[in-house]
Amino acid sequence: MNCIKAEDTLTLYGQSFASRLLLGTSRYESPVQLAAAIRAADPALLTVSVRRQLPGGRLGSQNAGGLFWNLLGETGRKILPNTAGCHTAREAVNTASMARELFQTNFIKLEVIGDEVNLQPDPFGLVDAARELVKLGFQVLPYCTEDWVLCSRLMDAGCEVLMPWAAPIGTGQGPRNPRGLRELRERAPQIPMIVDAGIGLPSHACQVMEWGFDGVLLNTAVSRALDPVQMASAFAQAVKGGRSAFLAGPMIVQERAVSSTPEIGRPFASDSSRSEGTALRAGSFHP
Amino acid sequence: MSVLVNGRMHNLPEPPTLAALLVALAPPIPFAVAYNGEFVPCANYARCEIQPDDRIDIVHPAAGG
Repeated sequence: MNCIKAEDTLTLYGQSFASRLLLGTSRYESPVQLAAAIRAADPALLTVSVRRQLPGGRLGSQNAGGLFWNLLGETGRKILPNTAGCHTAREAVNTASMARELFQTNFIKLEVIGDEVNLQPDPFGLVDAARELVKLGFQVLPYCTEDWVLCSRLMDAGCEVLMPWAAPIGTGQGPRNPRGLRELRERAPQIPMIVDAGIGLPSHACQVMEWGFDGVLLNTAVSRALDPVQMASAFAQAVKGGRSAFLAGPMIVQERAVSSTPEIGRPFASDSSRSEGTALRAGSFHP
Repeated sequence: MSVLVNGRMHNLPEPPTLAALLVALAPPIPFAVAYNGEFVPCANYARCEIQPDDRIDIVHPAAGG
């Protein structure tokens, strides 16, 4: 059969990406390890932040920001700055503005944290910030929950991508509310959705991709693995596998057992004609 | 006159502008700046006049999730 499939790409605000994995750049042991993990994950976007510079920073230099900047440039990846740590819309808008000047991108991963215990988004501050940032020309990717009313308000504010959490940031628990996530996916099939935060295992990533989410954003699950580079590769494969399964169209779950082996010709059957009829009705030509 | 830069007190050179302060501090490039919590585009540094006890934030690219 001569069938050429259209290329399956992730499209965010009109930009297409071959990969559906977004990778955070924090909590790696070294810049070398981070660079290797990026190569293994082959991500669409790298998330970054803006911070005051501390002498002798984590990257081991007085000019940690400059070294990190160079490392980002060498990867050739597109950048998704965040507003991590912001607790008000005003903080988030100003952080986003500084990030835009630094990284020269309108993309912003919008975080407005409302609770210090589980780092849950503040839905009110999030919508206020999203509305303002859209007015300022940003392309907002909001970190949100699976709450439908919040997500619809974010879309009303002009967000063309949603990033619901799987679980609280950095927990690695995987999807805490599978039914809620799947309902969100089904209610707004037209908008790209990336599951962000709380993913711990490649199987979590694969699962949400099977449900029809468009991508996965993760950081700690890779950077805090025993072997971050191998885990980055595992996540890349899991995301691809989940996407393939979604496109392939999973079978419909059945309430009762259905034999996959044909009944036709089964030895020792007492009534071969009845056995044959049952098999045909069951559709025994499927594997 | 002193101002708060990234949470620490600094003496401000004359003229009391954000541009003069940045020349004196020479932060590593690249950086972006907020003045009393509000982003200041780099084109506006020379016009941004600083008052005593103002707060300046200078930020750089950093790792993030």
